[in-house]
Amino acid sequence: SKICLKEKLPVCILVDSREISSGPEVISLLKTVHSVKVEVCSLGACDYIVSNRLAVERKSLLELANSTNRNKLIEQIQHLQSMFERICVVLEKDRVKAGDTSRIFHRTKYYDSMLSSMVSAGIRILFSSSQEDTAGLLKELALAEHRKNAGILVPTEVTGHKREVLRFYLSIPHVSYVTALNLCHHFDSVKQMANSSVSDISTRAQVSHKKAEEIYSYMHYVFESQILA
Amino acid sequence: MSSMTTKESTPVRAGAAAVPYGHAIVSEKWRGSELVQQLQGKIKLVFEENLGLVDFHLPNRICVLYISETDLVSGNGFKRRLVRFRNASNLHGIVITEKTRLSEQYFPPIQKFIVLELGMTLLPVASQSEASQLIIQLVREQSKEHESNPFLRKRRSHLMETSVLQTVQQIPGVGKVKALQLLQQFPNIYQLSNASIQQLELVVGRVLAQQIYTFLTQAK
Repeated sequence: SKICLKEKLPVCILVDSREISSGPEVISLLKTVHSVKVEVCSLGACDYIVSNRLAVERKSLLELANSTNRNKLIEQIQHLQSMFERICVVLEKDRVKAGDTSRIFHRTKYYDSMLSSMVSAGIRILFSSSQEDTAGLLKELALAEHRKNAGILVPTEVTGHKREVLRFYLSIPHVSYVTALNLCHHFDSVKQMANSSVSDISTRAQVSHKKAEEIYSYMHYVFESQILA
Repeated sequence: MSSMTTKESTPVRAGAAAVPYGHAIVSEKWRGSELVQQLQGKIKLVFEENLGLVDFHLPNRICVLYISETDLVSGNGFKRRLVRFRNASNLHGIVITEKTRLSEQYFPPIQKFIVLELGMTLLPVASQSEASQLIIQLVREQSKEHESNPFLRKRRSHLMETSVLQTVQQIPGVGKVKALQLLQQFPNIYQLSNASIQQLELVVGRVLAQQIYTFLTQAK
């Protein structure tokens, strides 16, 4: 029955447009070798969205090991945490040219402490040896999420009026691209969404009850113009 | 250190969920190893027999299961050990594995099994010496204040007014000035979404009122 399901619903992964230049092999292998439906869009916050709740950040080992990147990395992951229930970091081995010793990975205390912090916070970590390997891991992650009924099932291309509505939903704080897509496709109109209960938002947007509450209170938040003055 | 030596009757030591901060309970079989020598003086070690499937118990319900290069190369025996651990306890299992030139080809399928199928954490090291450094950091991490882990820190919230204003500006034809005028009349998005064309007209004029109304109510 799993095979049937897969045939009917190809596994879908949303890819940030910046990955076209930084991980071209990942994208092309996802499409050609793994037959994944890839939609390139401007995700801004993360590299890949593989399900309704899981974001994947692709990082090079050297990038993680370099402590000068610490603040940027922390900010990025915290931002993801505000939008996604689950976060996975794929640590990819860097391609080192022959003779280039400056780019060889050296394990440091800093690296181990970053790993420890991520593990403690429940962030999943996967190790990859190449872009090829990363593509395989992304496919496995998407498949696993699919089996747990968290796969992306809505159309990922939006046009016309829907594009404008999508942008409207994307402006809600801590709403991810895939949540905005779900809102866009599962509600007839913004008005209908605004009149919905927390549990209705949770079901249609495919988000946790807590996230649905956040969206609900945002729709009902009373604006006070004096605060901005 | 392979699964063959573990006693079938005690998959996980009872009571190991409460290891004090800065400490590790170490399986007796590790006594004298290079790994343990490098831990000494850095964290407090308590040696015990019968830890079952676990090699190290760390604070905060963390269990370390160590898979050596030899375990990896010599077949799938260690998988049984991991499955038994997974079934026997709900402690947080971290698998530390020796990923060396010799064992690296076995790593990808094992990662898939441990992380994706069992839902455990897998951290590769090159040697026992690297493993000791990693275990020290894992123990220190648990001793820290919750707030000092940046990935557990609560983000400061931003100004809701700014966000709401931006959301209203996503409606085609509505800029900052019109958005403010609308929000003065309909103080939240819920009320704005339920406004009639007539009510909207009183704020922004006929053409734009029609446009806003259509945007908010138009079905697929």
